[in-house]
Amino acid sequence: MFIEKYGKYLLLLPGLIIIVFFLILPLILIVIVSFMQIFTFREPTLTLQNYIDFVASPQTPTILLNTFGMSIGTALLTLLAGYPAAYVLAFKIESIKIRNYIISLLLVPFFIDWNARTIAWIPILGESGAVNYMLQALNIVREPVQLLFSRWTLLIIWLQTNILFAIFPIYLALIRIDPDLINAARVLKAPPHRVFYNIIFKLSLPGVVVGFTFVFVNTLGDYITPALWAGGIQVLGLSISSFAANFVWPYAATQSTILILIALAVLFVLFKIVDIKKLVE
Amino acid sequence: MAGIVEIKRLVKRYKGNVLALKGIDLEIYRDEFFVLMGPSGCGKSTLLKTIAGILDYDDGELYINGKDMKNVPAYKRDISLMLENYALFPHMNVFDNVAFGLRMLDKDEEEIKKDVMETLALLELKGLEKRFPNEISGGQRQRVALARALVIRPSVLLLDEPLSHIDYRLQRRFASLLKDIHRQISGTAFILTTHDQHHGLSLADRMAIMNSGLIEQVGHPEEIYNEPHTLFSARFVGEVNTFMGEIQEVGADSVWVKTDIGYLKSRKPNAADNLVGRRVGYIIRPEKIKISKTGENAENSVKCIFEYLNYFGHYVEAIFRAPHNVRIKSTIPTYNLPNFKVEDEYWLSWSANDARTIIKPSVVEGVDIEDLIYGR
Repeated sequence: MFIEKYGKYLLLLPGLIIIVFFLILPLILIVIVSFMQIFTFREPTLTLQNYIDFVASPQTPTILLNTFGMSIGTALLTLLAGYPAAYVLAFKIESIKIRNYIISLLLVPFFIDWNARTIAWIPILGESGAVNYMLQALNIVREPVQLLFSRWTLLIIWLQTNILFAIFPIYLALIRIDPDLINAARVLKAPPHRVFYNIIFKLSLPGVVVGFTFVFVNTLGDYITPALWAGGIQVLGLSISSFAANFVWPYAATQSTILILIALAVLFVLFKIVDIKKLVE
Repeated sequence: MAGIVEIKRLVKRYKGNVLALKGIDLEIYRDEFFVLMGPSGCGKSTLLKTIAGILDYDDGELYINGKDMKNVPAYKRDISLMLENYALFPHMNVFDNVAFGLRMLDKDEEEIKKDVMETLALLELKGLEKRFPNEISGGQRQRVALARALVIRPSVLLLDEPLSHIDYRLQRRFASLLKDIHRQISGTAFILTTHDQHHGLSLADRMAIMNSGLIEQVGHPEEIYNEPHTLFSARFVGEVNTFMGEIQEVGADSVWVKTDIGYLKSRKPNAADNLVGRRVGYIIRPEKIKISKTGENAENSVKCIFEYLNYFGHYVEAIFRAPHNVRIKSTIPTYNLPNFKVEDEYWLSWSANDARTIIKPSVVEGVDIEDLIYGR
């Protein structure tokens, strides 16, 4: 009786256990720890002091601006660069075979180890790297330019590593558009650019939103790439890891909680602006 | 009178050099309700989409309002198209869907609102403005699609199979709605495609029967029904009894055809000389056949065995077995129905003037007359 009625929910159990024990509970722990103060010879006490410290810290505005500015900027840039590629893939390449070849090629970087991919930036952007060589050969610059270790390096690297997460959801949204909707717009007096904006772009918005979310969340959580290539700009992830490394758990937890809250707020606003539910139906 | 749409030797090739349209000549006039009818795959939708500008054509000429349409994009043509699957924009409500074309024409919002509300009222869609396409019924979606195509007041309104995805009652309602609207607005030619001969015949001022990318015959429905040029159009428009035969004798205005069920007399076909010995199709419409117990003194009469009835409400179709197991059907008004007995003998008779001898199986080359009749 019980099995017949609720048996199907048993299938949810493995996934649910993993999510609850390894995601939800740790998150709750982080939030609790963020309100604690730990003393060497006393019991920990609950306090708001960590949050007050965070808000009062002179570094906070810079860190927040760096973190969210770089992530949102990368996400927007990636979408801008990824959309045309997805569009060409969906509408201009008619042969499914060629499409699949191109998609497989896009996946190639993921077959290469992360470390190798990271080190590969040195021969590309380094002082004696490919880009500098080209710039010198073309007489655009005389001395090698410093291309590594700046905010822009981070942007380029994040763009490269994340562009697929923008192309794919947009591509999937585009191929779902019924070609007759485009035909209908054309016979209803819409010139090509208005067909694109009113029909194609608006119907691909769910893909754009998903792409944004992927890239935004990916870059927000990545503190190693900024640490390696960004030339010392502070981001929240980096700050969390250094506090955690020095066993200042409560303050690291506070920063983590704030990071999560702001990320959720950004996504909330985004999903409010773009009514994704209406579009997906 | 020059046609609003003029089509000359129009050719459309699909990939792999498949010919979808093999040289279409057609002229459609202002204020006309024109029906393109044919089996699926005959090219009628391709022709419609070529007129609309969604598809390009490879050869021949197309004029709308006297203007050459080569390389003129769809949005610059004085047409509108209602697509077979309606293609309502899922991200817009009914009002915005209908207003789309007017907004693309950059009309001012006041005027758009007036026109849209007028069209919605005309199609009994008032009160649904704020609903989205997935929140209304199939019949409503269809009327929204029509409203959206109609509201921009094109010179030519193209309707691609508008009657194919709804149930019979809605089809009837929509067909009469179309006819009403066509009468109410002047200066607009309606061109509709259908594979359904009932709607085709009842809606059309004029119609074209299409087959394999060619036009079999153009004319008023009655003209095609009574004087079909080819066996294909005879069999596609209305019910018909077809007998395979050979012309034996030619008189002043009649011919005698030798068929499986005997020598049959019909009116002489208009066209050719050398009629004797030609393999032909002999056709007689079911409602032209008289049924009696004793052989009447008619020009054609065949002794048959009664098999069964197909009941259609206001009329019935009586199926008889003639010699050599040839089936003959006759339609009789229900109020006049005699009491047929299965396996009884009856005489079926008709006058030569009601029968036709058709020489051409089809305008499509290589169609064998026997294959067409016996459906091989």
